[in-house]
Amino acid sequence: MSTEVERVKPMGRWTEFRREAGRSLIAVVIALVVAFVVIFLTSKAPLDALSTLLTAPLGRPRTIGLWIDDAAKLTVTGLAFSLVFQARQFSMGVQGQVYIGGLFATYVAVSPIGQTWLGIPLGILAAMVAGGIYGFLPGIAKARLGANEIVSSLMLNYIAIDIVNYLVRVQLGAPGMLYTAPFPTTSVFPALVPNTRIDLGLIFAIIAVLAVWFALYRTSWGLKLRLVGHNARFAAYAGIRSSFIMVSAMTASGALGGLLGSMFVQGQIFGKLNVLFEGNLAFEGILVAIVARSRPLAVPFVALAYGYLRQGAQLMNIRTDVPAEVIGIVTALIIILVSSTFKFPGKSFFARLLGIRPSVPLSATAGEARQ
Amino acid sequence: MSQLVGAIISFAFYQTVIRTTTPLLLATLGGLIADLSGALNVALEGQMLIGCLTAVIVSVYTPWYVAVLAALLVGGLLGLLMAFFALKMRADIILVGFAINILASGGTVFVLALATGGDKGTSINLQSKAVPAIDLGFLDAIPGIGPILTGLFSGHSVLSWVAALLVIGIWYFLYRTPWGLWLRGVGEYPAAPEAAGIPVNAVRTWSLLFSGALAGLGGAQLAMFNFVGFTRDMTAGRGFIALGAVLLGARHPVGALLAALLFGAFDGLTTILPGLFDWVPPEIIHMTPFIVTILALVLFSIRAQRLLALRGAH
Repeated sequence: MSTEVERVKPMGRWTEFRREAGRSLIAVVIALVVAFVVIFLTSKAPLDALSTLLTAPLGRPRTIGLWIDDAAKLTVTGLAFSLVFQARQFSMGVQGQVYIGGLFATYVAVSPIGQTWLGIPLGILAAMVAGGIYGFLPGIAKARLGANEIVSSLMLNYIAIDIVNYLVRVQLGAPGMLYTAPFPTTSVFPALVPNTRIDLGLIFAIIAVLAVWFALYRTSWGLKLRLVGHNARFAAYAGIRSSFIMVSAMTASGALGGLLGSMFVQGQIFGKLNVLFEGNLAFEGILVAIVARSRPLAVPFVALAYGYLRQGAQLMNIRTDVPAEVIGIVTALIIILVSSTFKFPGKSFFARLLGIRPSVPLSATAGEARQ
Repeated sequence: MSQLVGAIISFAFYQTVIRTTTPLLLATLGGLIADLSGALNVALEGQMLIGCLTAVIVSVYTPWYVAVLAALLVGGLLGLLMAFFALKMRADIILVGFAINILASGGTVFVLALATGGDKGTSINLQSKAVPAIDLGFLDAIPGIGPILTGLFSGHSVLSWVAALLVIGIWYFLYRTPWGLWLRGVGEYPAAPEAAGIPVNAVRTWSLLFSGALAGLGGAQLAMFNFVGFTRDMTAGRGFIALGAVLLGARHPVGALLAALLFGAFDGLTTILPGLFDWVPPEIIHMTPFIVTILALVLFSIRAQRLLALRGAH
């Protein structure tokens, strides 16, 4: 079996890595240039805005903490999307899984168990099981009935948000409040660096990276999953039960979503359940997974870079007249450019400059496989 | 319960349902065209949202119909952008679609903040216009059935009439013109039309363009009739519900109309239920359309599987 996979990759690992990284970098540069142009056209003090965007996250220990914490969370959502993308499923349900995971972690944290040392491990476990089940639902609906996983997982996102809103309002929260009382300290992830948001969640994010890498590249399940994703028909001829792989990939991805939920509510960032606590971070995992080419080991690096940009945008929003939402333009452009076979003017010149061999990018073949 | 029945069987509720159905129907028709050509348009949500904002901002400076046209045009351009990257640059169309959704949710807030001078929530300080309703009050003069006709046909948005005509127009286009046959052929089995010399990519490009334009038009109805003005993320999942409605409507324009009416009715219920039953939690009412979409999707999938099984048996 392994020879089949080797044949899929004709190039050396490093050549491929350099080419992919080069493409991503170029996409990022193009997207940033567009953002700079937009800032120059709309801001009264564009240079201030730009320098805030690019340097502010490193300004103080507190802002560095915000950046690292954001990157840890982006890593987990990026991994969740990478898992389903590698199986060529477009389950978009990470957001809902985060809410459901956060909800179940909260139930553990506010129960008597939450006041013991079991609060953290059981909270995470409850979140991952709940998130896994929430990811399993669109998977089984697709495997058994052929129900489109994109639509069902998106609907489950909206439903999860409403469930959390309702339960916080009538059951978990203090009357009239849109959040719960702070969790007991035994149920809150301890800070790794005092007075910053860097907490135990970072360790879990790193463990998650290694676990997903191991599962995808060192187990037979991972090999089957990648085969199903690469060529479902071939996988079927090889006797792989693709529906089982599909459902299990979505379930595992859901468990990661649940873990992220627990990292939010049990982390230093909240330490309680807030309505809308996720703040649209989950969907950023699409960008992280796309730029990382769904490779688990590349995900944390992309998350660090993208988290830096997000924090810069937030600080730019606070300190200058440019709204943070300008970053949406950058995100959309990067996704489009990286996932397409774009050519930019003077490509061969830059290629020689960077030492990139001109060749057919992977996404071209991936695009054909879908058609 | 009798209160609820009374409220539902009334011209006021009927008017509400037509109003809430229209943006959904337009988006569903857009989704249908793209789906039949074999390209799933997951960007309906973003195209609609950008259509909303375009309509609101343009209507501040121009008559209402220019604003509606602008929303239509912007939606169409976004569809064209999708087609360019998905067909020419070979990006995955679902990723391009989500990129447009991300662009829409961030970009609209950014542009809104610029247009209003810093307000990121609503366009309340912009003097935007509304799409006029067509008043057919003269029907009252008809003896006997006059008031009923007025109740049924009067007071709807111009765009509701456009949407109703589009259902017929799209049906005619798909099933009575050669281009409609091309489009369905391209979606069904692209290799055959390709061999017959039909420009597959051009057909798909036109479908995506039209699909985006319809979603933009739905945005115009939403931001210039259902609500007058823009609020952040005001489409609230309607574009995604439309994707479900395409499937529930059995990928047929008349089915799309019925599915959109069903969702419109649930949407309408969410506006009248809180007044009648304050014990029903608003969150439950809010999530009904999403639950209905999932149920509809599951039912449709079961039916589709049965059909497949039947075909296999013969």
